[in-house]
Amino acid sequence: MEINLVGESLKFMVLGMAIVLVFLLIMVEIMKLQAKIINKYFPEKAPKIVPASNNPPLTQTNTEEEAHHVAAIVAAVAEFRKQS
Amino acid sequence: MMLKHFLFSVLFAFTALTSMVQASSAPEPAVAVEEKVYESKTVVELLESFFQTTGINAMINTKDGVKGGHGEELTHFAQGWGRVIMFAIVFLLFYLAIAKGFEPLLLLPIAFGGLLANIPIANMTGPDGMLGIIYSMGIANQFFPLLIFMGVGAMTDFGPLLSNPKTALLGGAAQFGIFGSLVGAAALSQYTGMVDFTLKQCSAISIIGGADGPTSIFIASALAPELLGAIAVAAYSYMALVPVIQPPIMKALTTVEERRIVMKSTRKVNSLEKLIFPLIVVVMIALILPDAAPLMGAFALGNFAKESGVVDRLSNEMQNSLINIVTIFLGLGVGSKLAAEQFLIAETIGIMIIGLLAFAAGTAAGVIMAQLMNKFSKADPINPLIGAAGVSAVPMAARVASKVGSEARPGNILLMHAMGPNVAGVIGSAVAAGVLLSIFK
Repeated sequence: MEINLVGESLKFMVLGMAIVLVFLLIMVEIMKLQAKIINKYFPEKAPKIVPASNNPPLTQTNTEEEAHHVAAIVAAVAEFRKQS
Repeated sequence: MMLKHFLFSVLFAFTALTSMVQASSAPEPAVAVEEKVYESKTVVELLESFFQTTGINAMINTKDGVKGGHGEELTHFAQGWGRVIMFAIVFLLFYLAIAKGFEPLLLLPIAFGGLLANIPIANMTGPDGMLGIIYSMGIANQFFPLLIFMGVGAMTDFGPLLSNPKTALLGGAAQFGIFGSLVGAAALSQYTGMVDFTLKQCSAISIIGGADGPTSIFIASALAPELLGAIAVAAYSYMALVPVIQPPIMKALTTVEERRIVMKSTRKVNSLEKLIFPLIVVVMIALILPDAAPLMGAFALGNFAKESGVVDRLSNEMQNSLINIVTIFLGLGVGSKLAAEQFLIAETIGIMIIGLLAFAAGTAAGVIMAQLMNKFSKADPINPLIGAAGVSAVPMAARVASKVGSEARPGNILLMHAMGPNVAGVIGSAVAAGVLLSIFK
C-alpha cells in the first residue's frame, strides 16, 4: 500500500515535538528542584571575603607609606593621560 | 587522438630517461620487466598497456561494467565527467574551508576524502581501500560520531543552563527545524517528483535541522547511509553559515524593543549541580528514551568526567587528542561518500534545499518560543534573540545571538544567556534523533 508521506511525517512531527518538549520540561523541573535541594542542604562555601577588621593590623607607617604610593601612582597616571 | 599521441610521446620520453638512469645503476632492467608481464613485449606495447592503467584513460575512455567501491556498476557519467565535477566541488569545499573559514576542521578532511574517493581505478572507497576501511571501522557502525559527542560533552559547560533552566525550552522549540523539514522533505518527494525519498531518508535529511554534525552523521548512517555524504556536507556547511542565515530571520521576527531586552545576570551555579546534571540526563534517557542512550551516554560521560574534577587527564584527552584523531577519521570516512556516483544525484540538491529550510525553521521556532514565554510569564523577560541559539551549532549560534543583541543595544551581552538554549539544543536534537530512531525500530 502506498503510504501518504506527508501525512505520516506530520504524525512524526507531533510525536517528536511532544517528546522533545516534554523531555525538556521534565528536565527543567528537575533542574529547579535540584537547585533548591542542593543550595539548601549543600550550599557551596562562598569564597571567603575576609572582613577588613580581621586583617592583621597594619602599622601606622605602613598605611601611610601605602597612601603615599597610591597618591604617587594616581598622579603619574593623571600626568600620563594629560600627555597622551 | 591528438591528445593520446601527445601523451604517448611524453610518457615515452619520460620512461626513456628513467630507463637510462636505471640502466646505469642496474645492469639488467630487462629481467624486471619479464618478471612482471611474463612475456616479451615491445616498448610501445608496454607504454600502451601502461596507458590503459592511467586515470586519464579511465576517465576519457569510460567503459561498461566498471565496478564502484561497493560492487555496483558505474555509469559512463560517473566514470568521466562526474569525477571532474566532483574535483571541482572538492576544490570549492577547500576554498570555503581555507579561505572562508567554514568549519575547516571537518570540511577539510571531508573534502580531501572526497578527492581521494574520486580517483579512478584506485578504488579507495572499496572494502579494501583506505577510505572504505575507515568508513566501515567507525561510521557504518556509528562509532565515530559517538566519540565526537564524548569530546563535545567534555567541552560543554551546563552552568548557564542550570542558572536559568527555563531557557531549555527554547532549545526544544528549535528542534521544530528537524520535524518541520521532515514534513518539507516528504512534501518535496510526494508533490514535486523531483526526488523520491522514503520516510527513512526524509528523517535522515531532516536531522540537519538539529544543527549538530555528529548527530546528523549518526542518524544518517543508521537510516540512510546512501545519503550520508550530502547530509554531512549540508550540515557542516550550513553550520558554518549560521552567522549568515540566522540574523535576517531573527531581525524579521522581533521588534527593536524586544531585541533591546536586558536579561537578569545569571546566578552562580553550585558545582554539585553541575556534577549531578549529566547523571540526571542519563537517568532520564534510560527511563524515557533508551534509543538516544548512545548519543546522550557518550555526551554525559564526557561532561561528568569534566565536572568531577578528579580525572582531568581523561577529560583533557577527550577534549583534545581523542576528538582530533576521530575528527580526521570522521572527515575521511564521510568524504568517501563524496564519490561521483553517490553525490551527483538529484537528491543532493533536494538535501541542500531542505537543510537550509531546516535551519531557518529551527531559528524561527526558537525566537517565537521565546516570545510566547514572555507572553505567559512577565517576570524575568527573555530576550527572544537567544531563542535562535536553540538550534545547537555550539557555540556559533550563541555568539550570533549575542552579536545581534549588542547591535540593538550596545553593551548588552547575551552570550552567557544564549549558551543555555544552545546546550539545551544539543540535548534536544539528541532526543529528537532518539525519537526518529525509535520510530523505525
